[in-house]
Amino acid sequence: EEKYTTSISKGLTSARAAEILARDGPNALTPPKSTPEIIKFLKQMVGGFSILLWVGALLCWIAFGIQTAQGVASAFDNLYLGVVLALVVILTGIFAYYQEAKSTNIMASFSKMIPQQALVIRDGEKKEVPAEQLVVGDMVEIKGGDRIPADIRLIFAQGCKVDNSSLTGESEPQSRSCDFTHENPLETKNIAFYSTTCLEGTATGMVINTGDHTIIGRIASLASGVGNEKTPIAIEIEHFVHIVAGVAVSIGVLFFIIAVSMKYKVLDSIIFLIGIIVANVPEGLLATVTVSLSLTAKRMAKKNCLVKNLEAVETLGSTSIICSDKTGTLTQNRMTVAHLWFDDQIYSADTSEEQTTQSFDQSSQSWAALSKIVTLCNRAEFKPGQENVPIMKRVVVGDASETALLKFAEVILGDVMGIRKRNRKLAEIPFNSTNKFQLSIHETEDPNDKRFLLVMKGAPERILERCSTIMINGEEQPLDRERAEAFQTAYMELGGLGERVLGFCHLYLPEDEFPDTYPFDTDSMNFPTSNLCFVGLLSMIDPPRSTVPDAVSKCRSAGIKVIMVTGDHPITAKAIAKSVGIISANSETVEDIAKRLNIPVEQVNKQDARAAVINGMELKDMTTEQLDEILINHSEIVFARTSPQQKLIIVEGCQRQDAVVAVTGDGVNDSPALKKADIGIAMGIAGSDAAKNAADMILLDDNFASIVTGVEEGRLIFDNLKKTIAYTLTKNIAELCPFLIYIIASIPLPIGTITILFIDLGTDIIPSVALAYEKAESDIMNRRPRHKKKDRLVNEQLAVYSYLQIGILQSVGAFLAYFTVYAEQGWLPNTLLGLRVNWEDDYYNDIEDSYGQEWTRYQRTYLQWSGYTAFFVSITIQQVADLIIRKTRRNSIFQQGLLRNKVIWVGIFSQIAIALILCYGLGSVTALNFTPLRVQYWFVAMPYAILIWVYDEIRKLFIRQYPGSWWDKNMYY
Amino acid sequence: MSKEEKKPFSQTMAEWRQFVYNPRSGEFLGRTAKSWGLILLFYLVFYGFLAALFTFTMWVMLQTLSGEIPKYRDRISSPGLMISPKPVTALEFYFNKSDSKSYAEYVSTLKQFLKSYDDSKQSKNIACTAGKLFEQNEERAVKQACQFNRTKLGSCSGVEDDTFGYAKGTPCVLVKMNRIIGLKPEGEPHIQCSPKEEGKVQITYFPDGGMIDLMYFPYYGKKLHADYLQPLVAVQLAINSSSTKEDVTIECKIMGSPNLRNEDDRDKFLGRISFKVQMSE
Repeated sequence: EEKYTTSISKGLTSARAAEILARDGPNALTPPKSTPEIIKFLKQMVGGFSILLWVGALLCWIAFGIQTAQGVASAFDNLYLGVVLALVVILTGIFAYYQEAKSTNIMASFSKMIPQQALVIRDGEKKEVPAEQLVVGDMVEIKGGDRIPADIRLIFAQGCKVDNSSLTGESEPQSRSCDFTHENPLETKNIAFYSTTCLEGTATGMVINTGDHTIIGRIASLASGVGNEKTPIAIEIEHFVHIVAGVAVSIGVLFFIIAVSMKYKVLDSIIFLIGIIVANVPEGLLATVTVSLSLTAKRMAKKNCLVKNLEAVETLGSTSIICSDKTGTLTQNRMTVAHLWFDDQIYSADTSEEQTTQSFDQSSQSWAALSKIVTLCNRAEFKPGQENVPIMKRVVVGDASETALLKFAEVILGDVMGIRKRNRKLAEIPFNSTNKFQLSIHETEDPNDKRFLLVMKGAPERILERCSTIMINGEEQPLDRERAEAFQTAYMELGGLGERVLGFCHLYLPEDEFPDTYPFDTDSMNFPTSNLCFVGLLSMIDPPRSTVPDAVSKCRSAGIKVIMVTGDHPITAKAIAKSVGIISANSETVEDIAKRLNIPVEQVNKQDARAAVINGMELKDMTTEQLDEILINHSEIVFARTSPQQKLIIVEGCQRQDAVVAVTGDGVNDSPALKKADIGIAMGIAGSDAAKNAADMILLDDNFASIVTGVEEGRLIFDNLKKTIAYTLTKNIAELCPFLIYIIASIPLPIGTITILFIDLGTDIIPSVALAYEKAESDIMNRRPRHKKKDRLVNEQLAVYSYLQIGILQSVGAFLAYFTVYAEQGWLPNTLLGLRVNWEDDYYNDIEDSYGQEWTRYQRTYLQWSGYTAFFVSITIQQVADLIIRKTRRNSIFQQGLLRNKVIWVGIFSQIAIALILCYGLGSVTALNFTPLRVQYWFVAMPYAILIWVYDEIRKLFIRQYPGSWWDKNMYY
Repeated sequence: MSKEEKKPFSQTMAEWRQFVYNPRSGEFLGRTAKSWGLILLFYLVFYGFLAALFTFTMWVMLQTLSGEIPKYRDRISSPGLMISPKPVTALEFYFNKSDSKSYAEYVSTLKQFLKSYDDSKQSKNIACTAGKLFEQNEERAVKQACQFNRTKLGSCSGVEDDTFGYAKGTPCVLVKMNRIIGLKPEGEPHIQCSPKEEGKVQITYFPDGGMIDLMYFPYYGKKLHADYLQPLVAVQLAINSSSTKEDVTIECKIMGSPNLRNEDDRDKFLGRISFKVQMSE
């Protein structure tokens, strides 16, 4: 076609090719635009609480500036605090960035591709050029095993078959010829697509589209056009950050106003504000959440779920609908013999992945004959050198059906190649689409039998046409009407199962007509091809993975709807859906009901049908309302023959129902839907790069069952994050109260800002991560997925219980320690009230305590630090109790087991060890404001710690005893 | 759609109003009146219990304390020095000897401070043996205080000169040592002051040599030792006329006692004090 200014025989000239290359660009997909690293980094710096802490740091520096101008001695404290706050933000930012980068790097290794070469005709010569340099109009040659370098219109093809599964989801090889058969480029036979593979045969074709203009390029750009949705956990964390920041800012501002109206200096009020912000913000929490998520991600990776995006860990847990691709995800993506029909009887074969034997009745003579045909009339061969590999895993040269037959025969008979050697092949007619049969002629292995054996297999109806007899129990019997009808029934039944059926027949050629030396000629067919003896049928299917039915039923009980979305035929899709339980055994589609009741489809009440099989063609004409109606009314849905766009529509439809949608898929055609889904799950082995790139998670073993483990882990981490957050929020009140009392009652400051940071980023970190190791309280796989908008991570109950109950309890305990330290040093509580201004006066060096002693400023400051330390230690001790009670939300701690989660104990010991080190090890470092504390002060808050535990046990007891009561509603978080 | 959509402002407002008061369910801020009542009752009980518990534990803690001496005194092992009068801001004296208003504050502070040293107030106090610690070991008895007569402060006593020398340009500053229960100084403690730059100022001590007599120690605490008067040392500064209008920094230290520390890196007032004087005419 000269439209492309090319020549079929000579191809383009190099100059012309270079010209077009300059115009169209290289033949490669433009990679999705990635955010520059620096932007990603800066995003981490301003996300979450960072803004609040930046404000805090800024206020510190302002205070420092003003104070140095005024010559206040303690001005540098504010400078340090500002620097520390900034460091906290930067370090947590770097940490989050590092975590993100780490998970992105895992992906980078996947996208490495070997540069592809293409055989192209240019300037009348054949040349190898990198596929990237192909341009429209180039003539390329393809042979079996090649990846197709661009969208190509075939001009010459010989036995060419392509695997389009990554593009359309069809698992069967598609034959390609030069004939234009369909308007739709996806359906027509004369176009081969970029990135698909040519399985066998050879072809020459002209490049018609390159790079982003190819079909696959268009799908890829469809995928990148789909915006990245925020993950549910990101929304939850944002919601939580809003709550905490809201509390911090409103309390801060409120007390700023109170302080100013109490005639505090504005500068002092600003310093109070900083304290309130620092006390209110759980600085370490976001890092903790990241660590918890990555711990879960690691745990999931061990179970073959590789998580690309950390937050996706939880998304899987809240998933309420899984849209699963069929081929390769639910099925093994390989043809396997499923049923046999001989002796007028259907036998089922074992289709599991690890089959080593077949258990159907093999005593019949018919089977012996059938097995011989299966073995001999087959061109597929094992690649050599695989003797030690399990049969099912051996690599085979040949098409899918022949491979299935070869493996089937090898499993039952063993040493197929040896049998073939002993039954030497004399002639062969390969399968072609006009004959629809394959034939070969062999010597027999019995040296006394000089007859030749003609074996044939092919489309059942064509084979039957050529037969006049049928083998029953090893005897040839005439093929009468009755027999033919039995054949029809069996054929229909197997076909109805979505299986591909092949017929087998043979004929022993009479010795006298065909002597030893008879020259068989396949072109003239100088041998009989009719009046053969029909032996049996074999049907094949891409069988479901053996783990899938169980996984689907687990999803069911976990309240997750599994929808099959496939590009395959409705019949096959439905058959697979039934066998894996996506359509359960006793549910019917509208069509089934119509058939059963013998009424037209239109009269069936749609509500009666739980299942639905929807064809892509029907879907095309549907309005969004109709789609919604289907998604709501039917619990078991199969979408067949769907295009990539339609998959996208289905996902969107599910999301309209407020569902969290997981999409599994492996092909390029799945990638837009993978991207659109709340969580896209790609197959690690069979998955295409495009699918892996679009996905959030990769199943390394391609096993649908791994998703179930993932769901479980995701739900667990959601529960445990709740616990972590509740644990962390509690002590914020114990950190905040000192500031409020300090402002209102004017007592010496009970706890310093730096000390607070040591709790938030020191003692509390390991315990809060330890909660991520907590086991589930009840069977989390038996409850419904959480509702995206109703079941929040941080709900009102959690915040109120942590802030207003346990938090206040903690504060009271810590204040007891504070007052004890001061009282035992000579400052009784009543003396402390209203003391603040004098206490903090640098030049007031003879303040009298309750006993008449006089204190210098530094002596007071040192005492104040002892107070900080006591307050700190008390919070730590009570946080140990808090940690223990957070192990469960409903069950008693004793039901959960105190010792089951060892990491909790690591947390408790680390907490106490850090406190000991700070107190006694670093007590002499002035800048840290810690002092060595008398041993007994460690026990002052102990009664309150015990009270926290007892109170929480009572709370849980009432929750368990009176479900649904006022107490349950208000106290269960 | 999971994507957040901007709601129109009016709708947001309506939702808020609905939240604040929902006439349909009678909900106020998301709870019905009954629900609010219950929750408030709960917190009333909860916090009432907490308050009682806190009071109780505080009471228990206070029961363990003695009324006379604090349980621990390790945070004040050595006393600090302080001066009187104490200028309002930093320890910097600014005054004009010819403007009585400029030093009125100082004078009145001194007068006030020395009132308790008036002879009339010291009738209950006894004259103790000078140079010896005055230990009173009887249990729980009210401790007696030693007399400290204002006259010991000489021209700084305010008896003859009721401007404490400020009018003459020879201001008096009282140096005192912080009271610490049970402190028993060793050796012969005395206050020694020196100007930072030599020769700018002549210093006169009252009593002589800035001596602090051991008889005023130990101190038994406010309750047992109610009449206790801490010993004072007055320093009178005669600033050279050439140094007027300049800052004169004077540092005073406690000397002569091995157990009274006067050189701590962090505590600039432990056994020492420095202050500035600037006098104009």
